[in-house]
Amino acid sequence: MANIAAQRIKREFKEVIKSEEVAKCAIKLELVDDNYTELRGEIAGPPDTAYEGGNFLLEIKVPETYPFNPPKVRFMTRIWHPNISSVTGAICLDILKDQWAAAMTLRTVLLSLQALLSAAEPDDPQDAVVARQYKENLEMFKLTARHWTNVYAGGPNVNPECDEKIKRLIDMGIEEHQARVALSSYNWDLERATEQLFS
Amino acid sequence: MAESAQPLVRKYKKYCLQYYNSAVCPYGFHCTYNHSERHEIDLVAYLEGTDFILGEPPKTIRQCHYYKLGRCIFQDRCRYLHDNDDSLRNQSDQQGATNSQPSEKVDLPSTSAQADKKSESESQPNLSKELTQTNDEEHESDGTESSLEEDEEEEGACASPAVVKNKSWAEAPEFVPRGWSYAQVVKADEPQDKLENRKLCPYTTKEGICVNVATCNNVHGEFCDMCERYLLHPYNESERKRHQQECVEQHERNMEHSFAIQRSKEKTCGICFEIIMEKANGEQRFGILPNCNHCFCLTCIRKWRQAHQFENKIIRACPECRVTSDFVCPSMYWVDTKEDKSKLIEDYKEALSRKDCKYFKRGEGKCPFGNKCFYKHATPDGNNIDVGPPSRQRRHRHVDTELDVLQVVLWDFLDGRDFPWQSLANDLEDLVSFFTDSDESDWSDYELFLD
Repeated sequence: MANIAAQRIKREFKEVIKSEEVAKCAIKLELVDDNYTELRGEIAGPPDTAYEGGNFLLEIKVPETYPFNPPKVRFMTRIWHPNISSVTGAICLDILKDQWAAAMTLRTVLLSLQALLSAAEPDDPQDAVVARQYKENLEMFKLTARHWTNVYAGGPNVNPECDEKIKRLIDMGIEEHQARVALSSYNWDLERATEQLFS
Repeated sequence: MAESAQPLVRKYKKYCLQYYNSAVCPYGFHCTYNHSERHEIDLVAYLEGTDFILGEPPKTIRQCHYYKLGRCIFQDRCRYLHDNDDSLRNQSDQQGATNSQPSEKVDLPSTSAQADKKSESESQPNLSKELTQTNDEEHESDGTESSLEEDEEEEGACASPAVVKNKSWAEAPEFVPRGWSYAQVVKADEPQDKLENRKLCPYTTKEGICVNVATCNNVHGEFCDMCERYLLHPYNESERKRHQQECVEQHERNMEHSFAIQRSKEKTCGICFEIIMEKANGEQRFGILPNCNHCFCLTCIRKWRQAHQFENKIIRACPECRVTSDFVCPSMYWVDTKEDKSKLIEDYKEALSRKDCKYFKRGEGKCPFGNKCFYKHATPDGNNIDVGPPSRQRRHRHVDTELDVLQVVLWDFLDGRDFPWQSLANDLEDLVSFFTDSDESDWSDYELFLD
């Protein structure tokens, strides 16, 4: 890895460790390998959002050309968000693409992602299904996002109704996650989800 | 000869050798020999093993050459005649009279005296015998006659005979330069020989010690508090002031320099996060953006502005605040104030405007920046040419391919120059020209107009 990238990540890592956000448990950063090319990030779901109480793991890959190119970041924790793929965890955020600036750091990236969770951009979606739901049925979107946060990110809000519907699909021989995706995509309409699954 | 020798010896006086050599005699008034200095004696002989010399008072009183030119350092003590100074002449006459005890000697014609000298030197063995015989009488008889002169003149004009054994011969008057050389006296009226117009001694060491301080004729500087060297002219007031002024200016420059270092040394680059002054040699330089106050090292900000994976708007913007700047100004130090910054940028543009534009090629090529180009647009005969504003072009496919070709060439150029650039780091001028010749300041400007 280019020297400048490793040097910078080293410094950034120290910076994040000492930062107040870490003290408040809002973000976390740990090393995956010793040569600073891959890291694991963690952000707390912002308060007063559907993601409150959840902890979202991020996979951070630092390119050799860092900081002249942005780090590659992906959600490892499944999340229901218009700008994040519910399938791959890929993020649609301008600063991670064409709006990157060399002065940005892993800390600012993590904070930006946290901000993205509280302010979705449905007009620039990564996941079209989620974005449509967000625009057409915001309440349903929030319910779904909360449910996903509860199931995958350890959020506190248990929704028995959703769990019940998923259980019924599981009983029909559908895999749990597949069932949740189908139900989430059809606004928890069990009939249409079943129809889609067995079509 | 032997018979004539005795009157000869009697004819000459015995002078104290010690006093002759050093103008000081340990016996003082009690010395049995005459005390007269060199220039007051016409030396006749010296007998080895004795502590006196034979001589007579000078027979003629010549005009003082130095006095005629207006500069005789002996003034009224000069052995030679100072014109229009009768009292002096009388004095020296009297002196001659008292000193010349044997009356015959005064009457002697100079030619016979010389002949006598010759015969005397031929009969030296005899003479010495005579002298030893008469030694005692002489001591008694001449003791009263010892001269009372206490003058401390340390030098005489007449040559000492080879037989004289002077203990420290190196200090013989012949070897010790006098305050005024003949040339100096002759040219005394010319202004360059005035003390204040003389140059400071070039042989002075840093500590202000002249190797030949005893004999050096040059002016030696006084201690300057500012530069702590001996460079203040002792006589020339304007020269003194000039030096002090220089020192003050130098001091101000040093202060400015240390302030610049002080404000620069903690600065970190916003891209590599390293302390710029602590980076590797050749990378300890700042890239100043004219439109914002964010700090980057030149290497990083240039690299950022070359990143082709982003739009121009992004890379031409400050990575911290996204304020767009058209160019990067290299600097050895960080600039805090608006004045310092605008001066730096002015100087930078000034330096560039003296270099030929590599697109314009002294009129052979065409510069895409037109009259916005920082470089010199001049024909070989030196006429500056206004090529008008840059031509605005739309970016379309044709231009794109052209750009690619140009870019490849530029990158080759950059790669080839990569190492020399490192080693040339101190040469700001070269660096500036190299970078601005080849990379983004031109390049981004180029793209700016294409957009």
